[in-house]
Amino acid sequence: HFPELQAARAALRERFLRLLSSARGRPARFWLWSGIAVDAEFGAADAEPVAFQVDSLRTPLGVQGAALLRCGDVLAFSIPLE
Amino acid sequence: MNDWQKKSPLDWETYVNKLVKVIAVEKLQYEGWVLTVDPVSASIVLATFPENEKASISFIMGHAVQEVEILQEGDSHMKQRLARIFAPEESQAYSS
Repeated sequence: HFPELQAARAALRERFLRLLSSARGRPARFWLWSGIAVDAEFGAADAEPVAFQVDSLRTPLGVQGAALLRCGDVLAFSIPLE
Repeated sequence: MNDWQKKSPLDWETYVNKLVKVIAVEKLQYEGWVLTVDPVSASIVLATFPENEKASISFIMGHAVQEVEILQEGDSHMKQRLARIFAPEESQAYSS
């Protein structure tokens, strides 16, 4: 089943990368542990991904112009479709 | 590593274009149409089309996923709608 496995893997990964790149510059809400949600503008993700780069991260202490969110700290995030 | 992260890409592929309910850690729940599952991180990406709200895309990180339940198969109309998310420019060309 190796060729089928590789084809499935490649198709799923390509879709994921396309969706990540379409998220760039859009407002995103990130859900973190302990029921915390933060809003930011989605920037980029590294390959794993290990971290998300965001802009204008709104925290209880103020707005961070640029920040990295560790993926292990993120449970989920949503962006508007259009 | 949880059971969801241990699945094969061939298993994950069977969820694409289906309406699912995802139960994640901390009692988080998401319902939407599966766009893809990242084979590297096992993160699942859903499209949701609420009636009175804006459509959105949710990424649920693989490490947070506990259970994924299939609720409904996608018909050809839904599959086209989901495909347009990947190629918005092409679909605009078709409709003009």
